[in-house]
Amino acid sequence: MLSLLVLTPLLGAAVVSLVPARRRELFLPLGMALSVAPLGVAGAMFFSFEKGRASFQMVEKMIWWEPWGVSWHLGVDGISLGLVVLTTLLFPLSLAVSDSITDRRKAFVIAMLFLETGLIGSFLALDLLLFFVFFEVILVPMYLIIGIWGGGRRVYAAVKFFIYTAVGSALLLAAIIALAVMHSSRTPEGALSFDYLALLNLDISSTAQMWLFGAFALAFAIKVPLFPFHTWLPDAHVEAPTAGSVLLAGVLLKLGTYGLLRFNLALFPEATVSLVPVLAVLAVVGIIYGAVVAIAQPDLKKLVAYSSVSHLGFVVLGIFALTSAGLQGAVIQNVNHGLTTGALFLLVGMLYDRRHTKKIDDFGGLAARVPQMAGFFLFMAFASIGLPGLNGFVGEFLVLVGSFPSLPAPTVVAAFGVVLAAIYMLWAYQRVFTGPLTNPANRNVADLSFKETAVLAPLAALVLLLGLYPAILLERTAPSVEAILDRIEQSTDYQAPSPGRLADVFVSTSQDGDQ
Amino acid sequence: MNPDVVGDIAWAGLAPELILVAGAVSLLLLDVQRKPGVGVLWGSALGIMVVALALGIWQWVVAEPSGELVFGGMLLLDPAAAFARLVVLVVSILAVSAGRGLFAHLGTRAAEGLALVLLASAGFVLMAASQNLVMMFLGLEMGSISLYILAGITGDGVRSDEAALKYLLLGAVASAVFIYGAALVFAGTGSLSLVAIGAFLGGYLLLSPAVVLIGIGLITVGLCFKVAAAPFHVWAPDVYQGAPAGIVGYMAAVAKVGGFAALARVLLIGFESFRADWAPVVAAIAALSMLLGAVMAIISADIRRLLAYSGVAHAGYILTGLASGSSGLSSVWFYLAVYAVQLVAAFSVISVLGGPASSGSDLAEYRGLYRRSPMLAVALSVSLLGMAGIPLTTGFVAKLGVFLQAWQQGLEWLVVVAVLASAVAIYLYLRVIVTIYMQSPVTDDPVAYDRPTSWSLGLATAFTLILGVFPQPLLSLVESAGQL
Repeated sequence: MLSLLVLTPLLGAAVVSLVPARRRELFLPLGMALSVAPLGVAGAMFFSFEKGRASFQMVEKMIWWEPWGVSWHLGVDGISLGLVVLTTLLFPLSLAVSDSITDRRKAFVIAMLFLETGLIGSFLALDLLLFFVFFEVILVPMYLIIGIWGGGRRVYAAVKFFIYTAVGSALLLAAIIALAVMHSSRTPEGALSFDYLALLNLDISSTAQMWLFGAFALAFAIKVPLFPFHTWLPDAHVEAPTAGSVLLAGVLLKLGTYGLLRFNLALFPEATVSLVPVLAVLAVVGIIYGAVVAIAQPDLKKLVAYSSVSHLGFVVLGIFALTSAGLQGAVIQNVNHGLTTGALFLLVGMLYDRRHTKKIDDFGGLAARVPQMAGFFLFMAFASIGLPGLNGFVGEFLVLVGSFPSLPAPTVVAAFGVVLAAIYMLWAYQRVFTGPLTNPANRNVADLSFKETAVLAPLAALVLLLGLYPAILLERTAPSVEAILDRIEQSTDYQAPSPGRLADVFVSTSQDGDQ
Repeated sequence: MNPDVVGDIAWAGLAPELILVAGAVSLLLLDVQRKPGVGVLWGSALGIMVVALALGIWQWVVAEPSGELVFGGMLLLDPAAAFARLVVLVVSILAVSAGRGLFAHLGTRAAEGLALVLLASAGFVLMAASQNLVMMFLGLEMGSISLYILAGITGDGVRSDEAALKYLLLGAVASAVFIYGAALVFAGTGSLSLVAIGAFLGGYLLLSPAVVLIGIGLITVGLCFKVAAAPFHVWAPDVYQGAPAGIVGYMAAVAKVGGFAALARVLLIGFESFRADWAPVVAAIAALSMLLGAVMAIISADIRRLLAYSGVAHAGYILTGLASGSSGLSSVWFYLAVYAVQLVAAFSVISVLGGPASSGSDLAEYRGLYRRSPMLAVALSVSLLGMAGIPLTTGFVAKLGVFLQAWQQGLEWLVVVAVLASAVAIYLYLRVIVTIYMQSPVTDDPVAYDRPTSWSLGLATAFTLILGVFPQPLLSLVESAGQL
């Protein structure tokens, strides 16, 4: 099933490439239809996912090249489950709002479907080299999406995006090779192996762990992006077309936090424990810095972009809190941020399609003209701020509750991030949608069309669902998260502080989670 | 096996080279007698190479290269030699089929040009198969002299003449350095046969190895010059820029195949027991080549100079494989094979765009190429992505193989330098891709090219992409070629 999930978008791309380029009206509907297929498969995966199991499920393994120990090895666990579903959900939605892409539509749809394969593959890969291949291959379609279909400074933004991530992944490759060679020198058969499960059993010296942790963390910190590696993000977001921004914020950034959780924590527990202060401080700086810069932004899209820096700081803080509540919060906040920020970028894109500006000052008093759009924006802004009852609250609350016992000072500072989020989000809403309608250009702005409502509605529904009943995700993620924490506790003398298991309050199944 | 015994005159083992040489001679005779059209000459040259390739494949598959010494211990017909032959022939066929325009431009001298291509191919294959320093020199000269002439064959342009002269003068110096090194090694060991040298150096402890060490150094320098490794690369940008576009890719690719094969034989058979002495030097040359090549390529405004400098960087990656000793050899073969194909494809596109006899190709001419000719744009960008080592291209598998070997042999620092250099290098390939896809074209004229060119480009592109995802056939092929 997982191979099918990875390959369906690729097949879709093949189908699209067969359609002659002059039938340009066909491409977007076709692309949407084709990207609904992986969503269906992902849905089936979500419901056949067995709750209460920490290990990987639906594992598939095929040897790719024996002498190097590389295989096509896929599997899903609680950490990747939500992200895969989120990915497959965001693709049809972003294709649906890509009407403004008029140039080279065929290539655009093919690039999008390639991107989808790469993203799903990265989340499911259980072979480090396979992960690297997917991780790196994503750059090419994303680079093209920003660079060809982006805004005015698109080339600059695309090149900056590519260079930043490529530098990060260069050292990641060296570190992956180092692990494979280490496997060959530490095992009796002397075989190279890139297999995640095999590498988990490696006994790595603490010095080596520090170096490898550094290489992995750099690659992922650039992707997240963690302060001070975030400077590519506002450029890429602002210049990317709406679909690009949605996927960049919704899914691509999650590769960074996912990678930290999946690889850094699990493979290098000793280094993780000793480097917690560094990463926690960077995360908190990111939270505050992102929020403060967001407040000052005159450009709505840039505001949402900087809010991502802030929100992902929470995720990183939750990860390096090394408590089960913090990790749970990080995993679920990954998904939450994808939903809310994805929706916010969609809304900004819809505004831009109508007015061809993203400057906050150009708007004002729009609520009277576009009540539905204003309603959705406010709803998503509340979710992003963390209003109880919506999904953002669950994630940020868990992160803060989980981090406080182990990292009290950073948590206190981070909590101000929530306040700042309320400021920049509500102030932006106020300036765009409330007040008198002063700019005459805004008189004739149309409200959401049926299609746009249909795009936003599923996101809003999920925001509400995860806010009211987070257990649907938490009970699936809990065992895997606990397993990572147990691994760290077993291989180092670190002990998670006892209130750290507060997540049990929310999740009844996690007691029997570690099988 | 005693290398001094006069072995069989194994004509069958050399059949592909004999056909190439005989073909070159007959092309010239045919030209004198009948004055056939360019199409006939070009077609027969291609036919000769295809026959030679078929024989080469037959020898690989059916006769299975046994590793026997033939021609009095001059040549070793082992899997490595057979693989080098396949690579050289495939590259020649791809280049000549895309290069019809150049030979048409040469007019009455077309036969000359085609004969030189055949001779150069034969020369570099012999160089790759040689087991004796004198034989190696003969192969090197046979190939190089043909290339010197090819570099200036159009004779219409200062740049082309400059390129040919520069190539000739510096190449001659390099050959002299090589042969002087061979003489010193002969003085130190009493033999020119690599097997005998290896046995002597491995068997005796030299009290004053200085002469041999200097000899090793000079031979290495001579060959590094041929493969354009830094700091012996200065000729490459000028020659690549000035020589006729239709032949540069071929020149660069076959010289690298022959040069690296010879380097591998010399270092890993002849001087294996001195590995502790040469490995650090080779590693240093590799590091310098990768960094210098990447940085210089970034500041080049001419796509040919850019590819020349990127070729310096690639020489560095291949030397990284060599520095890891004989276990790295199969990764060297893989790298050479895939890089040669990428190089030929890239230069075929350049030749189509700038004209086959042109000198110099300003990057600005490539603006918006995608709109003018999607096929050329895709072929060029796939080659470039392959050179950049992006996954799902052969370039990634090649780099991975080299890095894995180097890391296993304890050259961790070199791998770190290599990955950083490739991160830098990505920028330069991106620059070209930005120009092709994201800038508006200077003119909207579609670009015309003949059918053989599109076949050649299609094959090269498919090779880079398909073997990038499923490299297993080539990987198992080079595994047997990796045993010296």
